[in-house]
Amino acid sequence: MLTMKNINKVFKTDLVETHALRDFNLSVQEGEFVAVTGPSGSGKTTFLNIAGLLEGFTHGDYFLDGVNISNLNDNKAAAIRNEKIGFIFQGFNLIPDLNLAENVEVPLRYRGFSAKERQRRVKEALEKVGLGARMKHLPSQLSGGQQQRVAIARALAGEPRFLLADEPTGNLDSLMARQVMELLEAINKAGTTIIMVTHDPELARRAQRNIQIVDGQVCDFTLYQGGQNHQVDTMEQAAS
Amino acid sequence: MLNIKPIVSSLLRSKSGPILLLMQIILSVAIVANASFIINERLTMMQRDSGIAEQEILTFAIYNFDPSIDATLQNKVDQRILRSLPNVKAAASTNMLPLSGSGWSTTLNLGPDPETAKSTPQVAMYMGTEHTLETFGVTLVEGRNFYADEITDDVNSPNILLLITKALADEVWPNESAVGKTLWAGRDVQVTVIGVVDKMQGAWVDSSDLEYSIIQNVDYSGNSYMVRAEPKHHEALQQQILDALMTENPNRVIDNFQSIAVVKENSYRDHELMVTVLSMMVVLLLLITSLGLTGMVMFNIQRRTKQIGTRRALGATKGDILSLFLTENYIICIVGGLIGGVLAVLLGQQLMQHYDLPQLNLIYPVLTVVGMLLVTTVAVILPARKAANISPAMATRSV
Ligand SMILES: Nc1ncnc2c1ncn2[C@@H]1O[C@H](COP(=O)(O)OP(=O)(O)O)[C@@H](O)[C@H]1O
Ligand SMILES: [Mg+2]
Repeated sequence: MLTMKNINKVFKTDLVETHALRDFNLSVQEGEFVAVTGPSGSGKTTFLNIAGLLEGFTHGDYFLDGVNISNLNDNKAAAIRNEKIGFIFQGFNLIPDLNLAENVEVPLRYRGFSAKERQRRVKEALEKVGLGARMKHLPSQLSGGQQQRVAIARALAGEPRFLLADEPTGNLDSLMARQVMELLEAINKAGTTIIMVTHDPELARRAQRNIQIVDGQVCDFTLYQGGQNHQVDTMEQAAS
Repeated sequence: MLNIKPIVSSLLRSKSGPILLLMQIILSVAIVANASFIINERLTMMQRDSGIAEQEILTFAIYNFDPSIDATLQNKVDQRILRSLPNVKAAASTNMLPLSGSGWSTTLNLGPDPETAKSTPQVAMYMGTEHTLETFGVTLVEGRNFYADEITDDVNSPNILLLITKALADEVWPNESAVGKTLWAGRDVQVTVIGVVDKMQGAWVDSSDLEYSIIQNVDYSGNSYMVRAEPKHHEALQQQILDALMTENPNRVIDNFQSIAVVKENSYRDHELMVTVLSMMVVLLLLITSLGLTGMVMFNIQRRTKQIGTRRALGATKGDILSLFLTENYIICIVGGLIGGVLAVLLGQQLMQHYDLPQLNLIYPVLTVVGMLLVTTVAVILPARKAANISPAMATRSV
């Protein structure tokens, strides 16, 4: 569903040119759970931003659902992000002045859903992440793990085709990280394609497929088969 | 406007920023509405038509010191000389200068018994001749002007004839002609109205009786003279007047040349100052408010860069971000405008009680709020466009 061919991304500042991605090639199939690892500054976020149409690229081709989206105008890109893509951020990125329901509602309003439809989806999404009883709470009243679950609910409410997560557990302790990971796995099982950047090799191992980015290029990738999950559990048992 | 509800709740939850701005808008609306009302009152007052050829009338004073001068005679000679000067349309002596703030006034009665008779309002009392109407440049709308042989030199003469303003005629005899009517100045003195002039203001611009004036048939020999000529001739005329009158009799001082337009300007000086000060205040308040709005939006953009990036990532278009900021500030502006409008009315009532002001016309708060919405648009649109241009990548890039 996602194909990148020779994508290059150069950041130009007055002093330096940074090649964040060079001849980047990647294909992701519908339903995959892809974990992306790599050293800091290697281009993981840049890749995710380009995949999620958050920023453009210098050259190359990017096909999303078979459509070349290299020269999309701003409003069209916004519409695709809104309909097809769900985002999960390291810092949760909830809007502090809005309560949980209002936060989850944000993309639904941009989608133009009716009030009734929005209400239904908000309720369903928050229930799915186990926070259905806290609709009127403010983000600041929740723990980090709960906030990230709200962010996941927000990403899910629009029923996106795929989910992009940039270090979704980076700000969470291991217990909360595991809960979030389990949630993502459940979402993936239900059919949503997920690409997740992570620093945590244990979490990465739980994905079907691992990609390592080094210096703006895909370095190697390994296909993990199922049955790895218990290893992570034992690791965490050992830690606690 | 589809996002009003969450915008309102987020405004209610956010701390001091919107409250301060709201208070600023409330105060601005209350003050600006009243100030513009007063400004407009004063401007309307200053723009009233005096009925008099202000620009064309050149006035000056003659002070005779020589005791051998026969003032009555000299007055007639001097007026004849003035009328003979080039470009002079008309000339007359007078007991008071229109719009000057000083002069004579009286009230007359509609019957002989001062105890029981109804009185006229306070009227400004000009002494004049058959030349006075022409010199003032006022129009006779009914009756006739004085004849030359009706003019006396004695202010206490019993044969008093009057030219009165239409405003006075309508006030005293609302549904009948004033011409031929009799008024009493005390028990014994009867005066007859022989003509009505369209408009001829008195001397006191702040008086509510400004439009009630009369001219009495007296050739008054005092100090004040009026010469009517095109303004462009005034400068030359001033020298010609000096030359001619000093040649006729050198034992005197002639000075204080000025047009009635200048006299009027001096009388309205306080009002002009008020208009200037209040206008500056209005401009300043609007400026401060718009700076406050711009400042707050810029501060919000700084503070909410990540939030804006996130909204963009979640599907907001640039237009959505623009309207987010506009809507947010329109809400503050409208709420502030409503409260400010009520405050404006209360302030107006206080001003009405303590100062001599009419009741605030409600159109002023309404227009002020409309103006405030324009100010808001102008102040918010540029920073909001900057916000709209924040990259969606800020969702992942900014801390
Ligand atoms: N807006 C930017 N301007 C200039 N350089 C940037 C910008 N964003 C990222 N970079 C650079 O691009 C490279 C890749 O960054 P990034 O994708 O964020 O790495 P990662 O997420 O793997 O840590 C880094 O060298 C970073 O400094
Ligand atoms: Mg990164």
